[in-house]
Amino acid sequence: MRLNLFNTTAFRMSVGYTLLVTLAVAVTLGSAYFLTESLITDEVDLIIDTELNSLEEKFARSGVPGVTDEINLRIDSWGRIGAVYMLADANFERVAGNVTDWPFEGMPAERWPEFEIGTIEPGRRAVHPVRAAVRRLPDGELLLVGTDISQGRRFADKFRFATLWGIGLSTLAAALAGFWFSYRLSRRVGAVASTCQSILAGDPGRRLPVTGSRDEFDSLAVSVNRVLDRLEEQAGTLRATFDSAAHDLRAPLHRLRTRMDALLLRSPPLEPPVYESVDSALREVDHLQRTLATLLQIALAESGTPLAAPTAVDLADLAAELAELFEPLAQGQGLTLTCAAAAAAVVQGNRQLLAQLITNLIENGLKYVPRGGRIEITVTAGGGRVRLEVTDDGPGIGAADRARAGQPFVKFAGSAADGSGLGLSLVAAIVRLHRGRLELQDNGPGLRVVVDLPA
Amino acid sequence: MHVLLIEDDAEAARLLVKGLRESGYTVEHAADGRAGLAQAASGPFDIIITDRMLPHLDGLSVIEAMRARGIATPVLVLSALGAVDDRIKGLKAGGDDYLTKPFAFAELLARIEALLRRHPAAPHATRLKVEDLEFDLLTRRVTRAGRELDLTTRELKLLEYLMRRAGQVVTRTMLLEGVWDLHFDPQSNLIDVHISRLRQAIDRGTDQALIHTVRGSGYVLRSEP
Repeated sequence: MRLNLFNTTAFRMSVGYTLLVTLAVAVTLGSAYFLTESLITDEVDLIIDTELNSLEEKFARSGVPGVTDEINLRIDSWGRIGAVYMLADANFERVAGNVTDWPFEGMPAERWPEFEIGTIEPGRRAVHPVRAAVRRLPDGELLLVGTDISQGRRFADKFRFATLWGIGLSTLAAALAGFWFSYRLSRRVGAVASTCQSILAGDPGRRLPVTGSRDEFDSLAVSVNRVLDRLEEQAGTLRATFDSAAHDLRAPLHRLRTRMDALLLRSPPLEPPVYESVDSALREVDHLQRTLATLLQIALAESGTPLAAPTAVDLADLAAELAELFEPLAQGQGLTLTCAAAAAAVVQGNRQLLAQLITNLIENGLKYVPRGGRIEITVTAGGGRVRLEVTDDGPGIGAADRARAGQPFVKFAGSAADGSGLGLSLVAAIVRLHRGRLELQDNGPGLRVVVDLPA
Repeated sequence: MHVLLIEDDAEAARLLVKGLRESGYTVEHAADGRAGLAQAASGPFDIIITDRMLPHLDGLSVIEAMRARGIATPVLVLSALGAVDDRIKGLKAGGDDYLTKPFAFAELLARIEALLRRHPAAPHATRLKVEDLEFDLLTRRVTRAGRELDLTTRELKLLEYLMRRAGQVVTRTMLLEGVWDLHFDPQSNLIDVHISRLRQAIDRGTDQALIHTVRGSGYVLRSEP
């Protein structure tokens, strides 16, 4: 049996684990990203704050000219890289600094406003993002200190890029590993299932493969094989018991019959009355032998021994042939026997047993349906099943009796006296042997026997 | 005709030997598988009848050993094992026919006859002819005294079986097996009904009946009763 990979526990677990891995990687890398980013920003903010404080101090000591000098000094000499300064008057006009125009619309509302400045670098114009802070000096001038944060931005971008790829790749890796894992698992479980299936289908010698890796599957296979060995052994013992029972019962019957045969064939012939009674005794022997054969057949079928060497049997063909075989007899009894069979309704089974099944159902009908009645056989196939129905408009079987109709030696009110009471139990046994279902239904009036077999 | 009977059941063997001798056969008897195999190898027999379960060497092994030695004598297997697969095993081992105990003596005789005449003169014949009854196997047309008969597919098959064994008694069981491929006995007298239909179709309107009932055995197709 092939397992559908996407419908296995292993696959579902793999999907779950993949999601979990993705989530874990995303949380880890994501928090690292956000932490790093805020660390960089905090550092920039701290530097800006410190510089503002020192420039305010300068103002307190030496006013606007002091601050202007200080700013010019910091711009020109070895101030820190990417530093941006501006001192503007109350009308936002530049007094000093390395920014030409006030970058905001009036006083910025945020504490850490950001803006962009254009710079001229050798050969090209560039735009740099700047993070800044603005303070109003006691005289009404505005002091802006900022830092070019393009470096930090680039770093953050790279970090984010790496983070997203990290999440993507680990998800992919987890998914691939999960897929491989569930594929391997479902293949091994599938091997177990298909072996068991073929054993059920009549190959009792098959065993599960043991890889020798001593893993959990090997230990499962070894245990299952042990169970199978035991079952095969039991089936063998059972079969031997049946064989010797059959032999021990048939051998004396055979001697009895041969002796009676010899009597009948004797010359000079027996006196007519003696001949008659030996002849009718012979018929009783035959009846006994048939009952015995049926009983042994039922016992064998019920013993759980799998069907030996099943072959493809077209139930539609078989039903049509048997209907044709019985039709003249039915006609002689004033009954209509018809068969409506699908084009092909193939089951794996034993042709003789299936023929016996249909024969028993037809003979049941012939026995119970009164003159003028009809017996209909239909065979349909579909959805992996084959359905055989034998319906009649005879007296039927009461609801209470239908339930126990498959049991041996069950006879019903109004049933014919000459039946052995084994017909339906043999049918039930053959159905079970073919792993099918048997159902007796009310045909209102009459009986509907439904045999449902796996195709 | 020389018959070898391999049967360990002394009483059954005695009765069979007696019956076969009375029917005109020369019979030798072996009581176990090993002796049976030795006898089968030592002398030419026309047919070998062996029980399935035998001491020392079971019936199927006897057949296999015989076949391995190139002895092609037809073998009829008698068995007290009647399950459906037993028959298949018996035929697979090299048996030519299989009869489940208990059986009617007439059945045994008919089977022996059938095995002895197993190689019909012309197995690839395209026409069968018994008296004025003719069967063209290619066109599946049957005529009686030149008049074409209207027969169903199954009636044709039944008639072919009888005509191929013309002059030879065939039992109801043989017909069920040979024509319908059924290896069990339905309880009803099915075959009789089919034969009487066929007989109607063949013999109606003629003064010479070709299909005859053999009391206690079965049927035979031949010109004289």
